[in-house]
Amino acid sequence: MSPTASYAQRLAISRLVHRFNFGPTPGQYTDLLHRGVAATQVDVLEHGVADSGLDSLSALHLPNLGRIPQGDTAASTAFWNAIYIDQTKLVSWWLDRMYLSRYPLAERMTWFWHGHWATAISKVMYPLAMQKQNNTLRKFALGNFEEMTKVMVVDGALNYWLDNEENYLTSPNENLARELMELMTLGVNKFSQHDVTAAARALTGYSTNLSTGAVGFDKKQHYAKPVTILGKTAEFNAETLASLIVSRAENAQFIADRMWFRFVSGTTKPPAPLAASFASRDISSLVSSLVRSAAWSEPANSLVKSPVEWFVGACRALKVRPSKLNAGDTQWSLTQMGQMPFNPPNVGGWPYGQAWLSGVAFQYRFELAQSLVAVGDLSPLSVPKSKMVQACADWLGVPEWSRRTGSALAAATGTPSELAIAALLSPEYVVSA
Amino acid sequence: MIQCEFNRRRFFQWTGASAFAAVTAQLSLDTLASAADSSPLPTNTPILVLVTLYGGNDGLNTVVPFADSTYLSARSNIALSSSQVLPFTDALAFNASMPSISALYKENKVAIVQGVSYPNPSLSHFSSMAIWQSASLSPDVTSGWIGRWLDRQPHSPFNAIGIGSTVPPSMIGEKSVASMVDVSGIQLPWGPVASLLPRMGRPSSSDVHLEAAAATSITDLYSTAHALGSLVPKSPTGSSLSQQLSVVSTLVNANVPTRVWEVNLSSFDTHTGEQQDQNALLSEVDAAIGAFMASIATGSRSNDVTLMVYSEFGRRVMSNASDGTDHGTSAPVLLIGNSVKGGLYGEQPPLNGLDVNGNLRVTTDFRSVYGGLLQDVFATPVSDIIPSWKSALSVH
Repeated sequence: MSPTASYAQRLAISRLVHRFNFGPTPGQYTDLLHRGVAATQVDVLEHGVADSGLDSLSALHLPNLGRIPQGDTAASTAFWNAIYIDQTKLVSWWLDRMYLSRYPLAERMTWFWHGHWATAISKVMYPLAMQKQNNTLRKFALGNFEEMTKVMVVDGALNYWLDNEENYLTSPNENLARELMELMTLGVNKFSQHDVTAAARALTGYSTNLSTGAVGFDKKQHYAKPVTILGKTAEFNAETLASLIVSRAENAQFIADRMWFRFVSGTTKPPAPLAASFASRDISSLVSSLVRSAAWSEPANSLVKSPVEWFVGACRALKVRPSKLNAGDTQWSLTQMGQMPFNPPNVGGWPYGQAWLSGVAFQYRFELAQSLVAVGDLSPLSVPKSKMVQACADWLGVPEWSRRTGSALAAATGTPSELAIAALLSPEYVVSA
Repeated sequence: MIQCEFNRRRFFQWTGASAFAAVTAQLSLDTLASAADSSPLPTNTPILVLVTLYGGNDGLNTVVPFADSTYLSARSNIALSSSQVLPFTDALAFNASMPSISALYKENKVAIVQGVSYPNPSLSHFSSMAIWQSASLSPDVTSGWIGRWLDRQPHSPFNAIGIGSTVPPSMIGEKSVASMVDVSGIQLPWGPVASLLPRMGRPSSSDVHLEAAAATSITDLYSTAHALGSLVPKSPTGSSLSQQLSVVSTLVNANVPTRVWEVNLSSFDTHTGEQQDQNALLSEVDAAIGAFMASIATGSRSNDVTLMVYSEFGRRVMSNASDGTDHGTSAPVLLIGNSVKGGLYGEQPPLNGLDVNGNLRVTTDFRSVYGGLLQDVFATPVSDIIPSWKSALSVH
């Protein structure tokens, strides 16, 4: 039975459950509509409790694949096969985790931080190093940003990705130093070229064992003299550099802006109090402010679901564990859509907004929807024909069908699977209005 | 592969063909009414192909001041020796990985605009690419320059086409967005639901902007699939850029009514091991452009096409100890085509007169390059697309 919620309530609850929880499971949206926006805010923020949803997910133990065998040998073939297999396993494992979580906020935040500290396996190569980074992002996903930054600055995959293993005493390589400040902590124009060069000095002496992702420190290779960074002169290392940068006021504004951009709107700006809620660098406080903000009733705050967000949402609605599908097919489609997990296109992270809305993306969305619906649970559509289209909106967490989509879906009520595919591909489901 | 012409006959073929009848019946009236737009591109209509090099291509190892002693001393670990370059003046040479472009230069088909960037260049990939793609120094301008041109055209999914899946920022306007075509071909939905999906392909009055865009993308897919589907090579071979450009040349030769195309290649961020990596990338660019020019030479469009090859910035003059270079500023932009007046444009920034960060000075604003293209290719006043900008550097 469809509850009598206003459009504004349906919109706010739809946004909250899609953006912070990967979309509703069957019946969840209806339940939240009954309970209201405030209760939804409490629900989507739930984290840090034992998550029984994850009981069926076994730990993923990836082997250390060691060095790349030289020459065109059987060992080399086996090595690259193992790289491919482990990468496929790692992606499946993560998609499963997003799907299985009963309290998906932690996983949703891990996904956000993955795009924030964007590191690509295309260069890093080793799935184990990427898994190590992924575990770090999950550990601090709702923790303290200073602590997260201290660990991430010496993350092996990130160090290799941004060339820090080539950052020598005699001549700094400034790639990590620059992107750390520009893309991960402070934002563009919040530091000078001098700060970049000095920060690169602070990051000398660290070396990565890429096959494990472990980072070692060699004091002899470290620049052990005072440098001036952001006006402070001292002898810095990675950890003290991270603390200095994160202590800047610009950091609170920057992270608040980034979170707003990815969770609320690519076109509007956050209200000033949002950054204030990040004063202690406690990520959960910032997320809580965001979830409890007035943003959710603002019509302008629409977002396009990225391919992974759309896919996991569809999996949750249809009760299809991602690994039940052919992993190769799923990952091919995500790659073709431009969003293979662990492989962002560049250090700036994933595209956003209209970039995802190409006809080509629609092609691949169709292929995924087709295979999901073929094995999915369509029981939420087992209602009289006259109620199917509305039941479909309540099932998928869509605030309202337009007349266009409503009439297209009405023509599909003869077959639940057709209705489901069309609904998953509708503008109202692809976009979080 | 069967070459097909894009023409009225073909258009009416698909609108009338029984196999498509169910689908076309659902296509929006807009699309059917746009039959006129779907007529082939009139002969002699200029076409622009943007070749975007992501990551910041090192201009100094692309168009090389090989005879300058400062070039050799500032980057001794990555400087190209005389055997690694193809000189075209006493002072300048192409990287030897660019034999095709070098040959085109000798035929006066390559304009090299030197020292291109904008005032106070940003060393950030993202800020700089955003500036190039929006043609605005203000971060508040999020529409792309081609997107704003699209906004001024009657809607047609064929006006601008990018190759790939995600739409590049340059091609997103305030109202209109370019269509995308994938190198692995266009595959329309199949099965019983297929005939329903086009019904969701038109904006509804209750749509927010992004929903309207999602709806339009559905119709655009059907339009491009019917018109172009059989033309797009099914199993392209070669490098990524070769595949992309071969889709473009095939469709250009078929007289598809598209005025702007976009292809791109990543990984130019050569902080380490630059010579090997950049040479391989430039080789890919060179081979893809060489093949593209050869392909359009077989059609009727060879005098209509201009390619623009650009990147978000050049790289530092002084190399780093990792045999690479860090982010820099100005770099050359290449404009290639039969109707381009080949040669050097603008000034080569001096290697002994760098800015405070050791970067090249800017001698040409990229908006002037766009200005020339807007006038010569699009016959559009520059300031219509780039507000308050007037300068136009014409290479035609």
